[in-house]
Amino acid sequence: MGKQYEIPLGAQHISLLEPLHFKFTTENEKIISTDANVYYVHRGIEEACCTKFKFRQVSFVVGRVCGLCSISHSTAYSQVAEKLVNIEAPLRAKYLRMLVIELDRIHSHLLCLSHVAENAGFEALFMKTMQYREFSMEMLEAVCGNRIQYDFSIVGGVARDLKAEVAGMILQRLKTFLPQLDELVDIFQNNWTLSLKNKGAGAITREAAMRLNVVGPFARAAGLAIDVRNETEDLLPWKEVGFEMVTDTTGDVYARNMVRLRELYISIRIIRNIIASLPESALVTETKAFPDGEAVVRLEAPRGELFYYAKGNKTQMLERLKIKAPTFSNVAAMVEAFTGNEYGSAPAIIASYDPCLSCTSR
Amino acid sequence: MNKIETSVDSLKKDIGAFYKPDLHHFMVMNAVDLGDKIELQWFFCNYAFPSAVTTFYTLISPDTEVPDISDIVPSAWVAQAELADLMNINIENTKKGFVLEPDFESGPLRKKK
Amino acid sequence: MKLAVYRKKSPWILHYNAGGCNGCDIEILACLGPKYDIERFGMINSGNPKQSDILLVTGPVTKRSRERLVEVYAQMPEPKVVVSCGACACTGGVFRGMYNCEGGIDQYIPVDVYVCGCGSRPEQIIDGVIKALDILERKTLELEVSVRLKKVPVEENGQVNRREVAAKIIHTQHTYE
Repeated sequence: MGKQYEIPLGAQHISLLEPLHFKFTTENEKIISTDANVYYVHRGIEEACCTKFKFRQVSFVVGRVCGLCSISHSTAYSQVAEKLVNIEAPLRAKYLRMLVIELDRIHSHLLCLSHVAENAGFEALFMKTMQYREFSMEMLEAVCGNRIQYDFSIVGGVARDLKAEVAGMILQRLKTFLPQLDELVDIFQNNWTLSLKNKGAGAITREAAMRLNVVGPFARAAGLAIDVRNETEDLLPWKEVGFEMVTDTTGDVYARNMVRLRELYISIRIIRNIIASLPESALVTETKAFPDGEAVVRLEAPRGELFYYAKGNKTQMLERLKIKAPTFSNVAAMVEAFTGNEYGSAPAIIASYDPCLSCTSR
Repeated sequence: MNKIETSVDSLKKDIGAFYKPDLHHFMVMNAVDLGDKIELQWFFCNYAFPSAVTTFYTLISPDTEVPDISDIVPSAWVAQAELADLMNINIENTKKGFVLEPDFESGPLRKKK
Repeated sequence: MKLAVYRKKSPWILHYNAGGCNGCDIEILACLGPKYDIERFGMINSGNPKQSDILLVTGPVTKRSRERLVEVYAQMPEPKVVVSCGACACTGGVFRGMYNCEGGIDQYIPVDVYVCGCGSRPEQIIDGVIKALDILERKTLELEVSVRLKKVPVEENGQVNRREVAAKIIHTQHTYE
């Protein structure tokens, strides 16, 4: 047994986008145990949603829980509020929500991949991925009016319609994006230097993923087929628009990269199907009812399963709103998957988890 | 949503009989302040029949000690540590200070008297 | 060494998230990418506060991140410029008044440039950083002005007459009443 050292990482670190603190106990550069502090970003949104904001305003507030998946948060809240006031969103609104969620997934996955490349020391691939990612930001701006913080889903439907020119522009840009994605897959799959950094690092088995209730690409890379898009066809009709489950077997950083890249092909297919078969209907279902009873909603955000619980009491204010973000489920597994890896690969492993601490701590 | 009532004493027995790691997925633990009582909820869903969400719930008074289920569901410690801070309830084997700073007033999600 | 010239041409930036929603942070990352590319102004995202000139802060200050923010600011060498990115870093934004938020980073550290927007667009961030460059140059010039300490002249025969001092104090007290 060698001498043990404690190495801190965070709260401010160049490889971290947001404050997050890990304390690694290492022995000969091997990590033997990890301690995590993930609540730097706790702001108290759940309390403010029940005391300061009326239930129609809350869909804009919960978008500010996270800037990366704000459309997932506002859509999930809109769905749970629609359940509480007993209305259903029109079909066109559902299709437009799915379109923006998939565009958001493209930008979020490419950001994560570029971050893995940067933390592994591959600066050129970071630049390339960021360059290819810009198209999704421009398309989101064309559809929603803002690059981030879309405020697209509201209670009862969506806020803006999709214009025919914008739809044509999305199809055209997807056509140029597809060969770029092939190039990225080629680099992430076949680059020898990157594979030395990624293969076998931060691995987690299927049994451990099941035991620790892991969600999202983290679980699917380990072979655990959990994807809410496969399940809740009553709220958003994912299977009509060509959803397909993507899984891998090894559960290391390489497998997570490949799962994210292969999901992008599914996202492109879903976007094309949505634009081809966009139904005509109203955008918003109006109601004057107040929320009553309790309801739960699950939705697949880019990082995994998002869960909303809401309880109403027939007033403008909600009684309770509980947000469970995808990274919250993964914290227990994130701490375990470091064990046995070298300290030098820790930043790339953290980036491959794709942690979203502002979701986790709200 | 399928709601099953349980109690503090029989909680570990009920969840232990229900939870199969290869079949069920523990989502989150939640609490709602009802005034003089607190409603605790544990949400599970099923990999095979995914749209069905099973909820265990129980009503406790604020000073009751809630049993720790992390020997049955190993990832439950995160949810328990968060809830112990935000709702100011006592959970077995759970220290406070995971979410909030030590100098902060406890239980911000509790109703103000 | 032409240190002043080099520093003006190539300021290094330090990015710290004080509890925001990640929106402005990914726009800062987009600024580093090829489309907006602030490296053409010679800027590098540096992870070390001791080598940085410009501090980019996002987010309202949460109670757990405020000590880290002040610590990071204190470790940066002079001259330094602080740019607050986004509505919540400037005023608290939508998070103002929530129980674990402070509402604006200017309650803790002096801010030189405020960049508005939720979230700030990359063009706005670039504009704010270019403004920060001018402020950095001005602060550098201010630092270079030599400061000479002056001795206060002492009056000769400066013996203190206690009665006069006491009379003065009593006199001022009366006038105040």
